[in-house]
Amino acid sequence: MDVAGSQREAREQATLLSAFVGSATVWLLIATAIGVLLSFKFPFPDLATSPYLSFGRLRAIHTNGTFYAFASVALSGMAIYVAARSSGAAVFAKPVAWVSLALFNLAAILGTITLDLGMSDGSQEYREWLWWVRVIFLIGAICSAYVVAGTIANRVERPIYIANWYTLGAFTFTTILWIVALIPTYQIGLGGVTLQAFYMHNAVGMWFTFLALGVTYYALPKLLNRPIYSYSLGVLAFWTNLVFYPIIGSHHYEFSPLPWWLQTLAIVFSVGMLIPVFAGSANLILTTRGRWEIVRRSYALPFLAAGVVYYFVGSTQGTFEALRTAQAYWHFTSFTVGHSHATMYGFITLITFGAVYALLPLATGQQPSILLTGVHFWFALLGVTLYVVVLSVGGTIQGIDWASGNPFISSVEAAAPFWLARALGGSMMFVSHLLFAYNVYVMVAAKRTAFEPKAQAA
Amino acid sequence: MNRPMDRLWVLMTASFVIYALLAIVMGVIPGIVLSDTKPTPGLSPLSASAARGRDVYVSEGCSYCHTQQVRPLAQDLVFGRPSTRGDYAYSTPQLLGTERTGPDLTNIGKRQPSAVWNYIHLYEPRSLVSASIMPAYPWLFSVKAHADPGDVTVPVPPGYAPANTVVVAGSNAIDLVAYLQSLKQPQLGSAK
Repeated sequence: MDVAGSQREAREQATLLSAFVGSATVWLLIATAIGVLLSFKFPFPDLATSPYLSFGRLRAIHTNGTFYAFASVALSGMAIYVAARSSGAAVFAKPVAWVSLALFNLAAILGTITLDLGMSDGSQEYREWLWWVRVIFLIGAICSAYVVAGTIANRVERPIYIANWYTLGAFTFTTILWIVALIPTYQIGLGGVTLQAFYMHNAVGMWFTFLALGVTYYALPKLLNRPIYSYSLGVLAFWTNLVFYPIIGSHHYEFSPLPWWLQTLAIVFSVGMLIPVFAGSANLILTTRGRWEIVRRSYALPFLAAGVVYYFVGSTQGTFEALRTAQAYWHFTSFTVGHSHATMYGFITLITFGAVYALLPLATGQQPSILLTGVHFWFALLGVTLYVVVLSVGGTIQGIDWASGNPFISSVEAAAPFWLARALGGSMMFVSHLLFAYNVYVMVAAKRTAFEPKAQAA
Repeated sequence: MNRPMDRLWVLMTASFVIYALLAIVMGVIPGIVLSDTKPTPGLSPLSASAARGRDVYVSEGCSYCHTQQVRPLAQDLVFGRPSTRGDYAYSTPQLLGTERTGPDLTNIGKRQPSAVWNYIHLYEPRSLVSASIMPAYPWLFSVKAHADPGDVTVPVPPGYAPANTVVVAGSNAIDLVAYLQSLKQPQLGSAK
């Protein structure tokens, strides 16, 4: 490629990445504003009593919005960018990438509106969107997969960089998962339960985990300016996660009428998950060894480091949570909601923030203010940590309360102060998102002026 | 320059095949087997009204806070007997739920058979249970000056509905309560 051509390619990559991240950020604000409203409905149940603002409808809008409209879009955009940068190739089939972004947003808009009108495909977590809305999203994901795979096919070096293993895997697994979850014939009665167990767990661990680890495997070594600690550990974690994870979904239905062997198998492989989790998190943490001064001074690395720690803590927690003794107390309590925020926020979202701060300035040449990024970091980290800690304690109290045979309402009264504290943690997280949105604006909007000289320097 | 498509295809094909096999073994096959479960003897399909009520239950997201599975654990027996596979033969989409912010509803038709209690509770839960944090569902009802013939009027305690009005259950409330009343566990092992 000549100089003009590579400058145009760099500009187009910057525009594409900015569009994915910008769109994701708008949805982050919408979905987490809804999350804050939901958290205040626990202490104030008569707050905003309206069908369109009711808990039962907004909860699915919050979860699907954060999962699909925010995290999936931001991480898909970054997966495309990482594929191009790590392959030394131009982004393949850019119009298809734009179609992908449009379809993701179309699905998110239609999904949000239909859920708010009370139209859902059953209250089955993370696939409440009507089936045809999920088909739109799936086609969007396949478009992104096509772009990522096509870009990697044009790489200049023979080995495929480990980051791309993870992102390619994420798109492959999710395509299969969504198709399997769409077909209704084997989802009658309990058949639907076993599919739901498979789907809800894999939608997190075979999609978000792989995408987030993929962009981390690119961003972390890039920022530290050193290679990843061990390529082999990354490959070990890839294959073990692929084989173990699909088996463990039934641990969401322990003590249910699902076959007992299916539940036991899920528990055994939940313990097996310690292998990819330890291998993956150790690999990333060891990459930062001796470079903590760089981590401390960077504005992106603290997010990535905290995200990796949360990956380790949240996933290990998940293993122990899966043991039957623990489930007898914690299942159905707010502890589970704490766990899902430790993983989907502490891990996935902090990694997403860190990767945006790492990659977007690289693309646009424009950096956000260190101060605002630092405030964003501490509000997000302290907010989610408060959230997880109070729900873990409150959930444990709920579980003990049920086991002591008290009337049900006493568990509601006992958990109330913890739900109030959760609303505080959630509000801190939301404030941090306002700062993030401003930082994204700075990184994206100023690119026209700052772009040219910095791109040449790079 | 050599275009190394080979490795890309190997990686993508290997991950596709492995995951597709796992999806079939862990998702599709158990799904096929369990979809064929025979109903528990004594369990009947939902009436037309209860089936519409189940749709309202799904629309309003009731199962985000209410489970429909009784575990074989001492603390769950207050809600009924442990659930069995056949109990879910007519439950599509499944509503087992994953959180119990409110009580389990597997057997609520037996535990709380009163339609009047359910109407008042849906209109404003705190008029019956002061510490309840359940949302109120006033949009399932209408508030009128006078009841018309055929109206299902709801005796909401004073102070919880506008003064000098009557609260009337809408068709969605009537269907939803019909569904709640239909949630009854058949007895197991009763000799024929």
